[in-house]
Amino acid sequence: MRLYWICAALAGLLIGCSKSSAPAGKTYFVAFSQCNNAEPYRSAQNELLTRICSGKPDVKLTITDAQQDNSKQIAQIETLILQKPDLLIVAPNERAPLTAVMGKAMAAGIPTICLERDIAEPNYTTYIACDNRAIGKRAGQFIVDNLAAKYGQPKGKIVELRGLLGVEGEINRYGGAHEVFQQYPDIKVVHEAVADWLQAKGRERMLEILRAQPEIDAVYGHNDPMAVGAYLAAQDLGREKSMFFVGVDGLGGPAGGIKKVMDGILAATFYYPLAVDKAMEIGDRMLRDPSFKPEKKYMLATEIITPENAKQMYDKLTF
Amino acid sequence: MPRPSRFNFVNLQSGLGLAIIVLLAVLTSPRSGSGDRIFLEVGNLTDILRQVSEIGIMAVGMTLVILTAGIDLSVGSTLAMATSIAGLTLATWAPATGTAGKILFAVACALAASALAGAVNGFVIANLRIQPFIVTLASMIGIRGLARRLTNNTNIDFGFGSDAGSVFARIGSQKSTVVAAFAIVFIAFSVLLSRTVFGRRVRAIGDNETAAVYAGLPIKRTKIYVYTWCGILAGLAGVLHAAQNHQGNPNAGISYELDAIAAVVIGGTSLAGGKGSMAGTLMGTLIMGILTNMLRLNNVDSNTEMMLKAVIIIAAVWIQQFDTRRFGKRGLR
Repeated sequence: MRLYWICAALAGLLIGCSKSSAPAGKTYFVAFSQCNNAEPYRSAQNELLTRICSGKPDVKLTITDAQQDNSKQIAQIETLILQKPDLLIVAPNERAPLTAVMGKAMAAGIPTICLERDIAEPNYTTYIACDNRAIGKRAGQFIVDNLAAKYGQPKGKIVELRGLLGVEGEINRYGGAHEVFQQYPDIKVVHEAVADWLQAKGRERMLEILRAQPEIDAVYGHNDPMAVGAYLAAQDLGREKSMFFVGVDGLGGPAGGIKKVMDGILAATFYYPLAVDKAMEIGDRMLRDPSFKPEKKYMLATEIITPENAKQMYDKLTF
Repeated sequence: MPRPSRFNFVNLQSGLGLAIIVLLAVLTSPRSGSGDRIFLEVGNLTDILRQVSEIGIMAVGMTLVILTAGIDLSVGSTLAMATSIAGLTLATWAPATGTAGKILFAVACALAASALAGAVNGFVIANLRIQPFIVTLASMIGIRGLARRLTNNTNIDFGFGSDAGSVFARIGSQKSTVVAAFAIVFIAFSVLLSRTVFGRRVRAIGDNETAAVYAGLPIKRTKIYVYTWCGILAGLAGVLHAAQNHQGNPNAGISYELDAIAAVVIGGTSLAGGKGSMAGTLMGTLIMGILTNMLRLNNVDSNTEMMLKAVIIIAAVWIQQFDTRRFGKRGLR
């Protein structure tokens, strides 16, 4: 009896979850292997890609979520290969582990786009790259320039809030900025703390830092939420006016970094491209024009978002 | 049944541990420009109290659960769900009432959902007789999924303008509010545990469930209450978390359950159930909080911090076992 109920419940679940589809004419099956849905940046990617594809009636989109797990992503791509998509877009969780399975997709004749993160071997038709190193450098230069404007020469005390250690984005956003800081002997990073990309941890770390450091000129958060968390801590102690805050990511929407620039919380943020728009622009041409040969690599530029262009960027990136 | 005293040797040992940590923190504290030890500044000490409050509130609920020889791994996810619901309610779902109405509605929704999550945990544990570890492991996963589903994987920011959300954030992030919430929860549950029939039942179930059954105690009902309280307290921590960070975040509170369990265990409560106290949990919470503050004021590398914490946890629990044995107390299991 109990077994019967369990079976019935499972069947109900399956029926509830499956969606009926009615293909008509030539449709293109686009599969997007996302490494982790549960991050605001990646959620925005999914949102944008879904929007672009829903504007194309002959494109059917599937998004898989690897939940930040290499093995899961490999298994999901293997399943997708069996389904023979017309286009496979992969946002790899990590470089080395995903290299082989993307080679399998290529060997199966599936046009494959590698998104945003590089893999160990060029097992892709084209690679849409975002350059965290360049973002780090520009953020570092922005901070140095502002300090130079404040003191008449490049000097000052900087606090840095780092993302999860060992992640590519963290390494390069850190390394790029430090390439710049090192050129100026009077620019000092007085405190570095790891806040795991989270606003809550950014706030907690900053409270301690504010106690230990009586003078701080600038805060560089490797993403916007950590920089906002630092602002909240400084505001708590009434010190938010004596320093400025710089973030990275520049997502749209009410919870994104662009809104924080508009609200005067961040001095600037650096747009980390969502990249799926470019991927679909190239992908669409690959689908429809067999003679089209994409470049091996497209490098996407970052953009600085300051109060001057924030409104315009907000409208562009809010969906 | 062990004597439900509020001050026994276990608490003395925790107190000793706390004293050692405080001494270390004072000695290693960096000095401010005026030569004072930063650790001892009133601002820093109250910072510590505020920072431990979320984990402390969760640890109070966890103490009840562990005293019944159970465990609740879902509190971190419940905290995330509560922040998400509070954020969503303030940002989008709020009814067209005044500011106070919106805030009360948001807090009520967050706490009600957390209570429900806890009650479901308790119901399944008590009635389907599945081990608490398994049940709460499953709900840890499920509730996290629910929080992400509700928010569509994004953060819900609020309180940067001048709406109800900003009032909620301003009130809820004040030190006095956060620390008072912890203090009230701590005192209320200390009394509940040491002075009421409910408290004795909690201990009795954890000490010897079979005996409690034969004594005719309402095992199922007590367990459901315990897990419901644990859920509500995790929800309360979530409400404070949301206010302090101006944000509902479905990824908040990851591994908070382990911090809460660590605080309880360092405070001398036995994972085998039946033995432990709220006072011990308070000390365990403070030991972890002061240790963290000490390491971070000194800008200790975060990986080193994790390694040092591991050593401290083992040392603290070992010291307690050693002394309970020496004083001929029960508890070494």
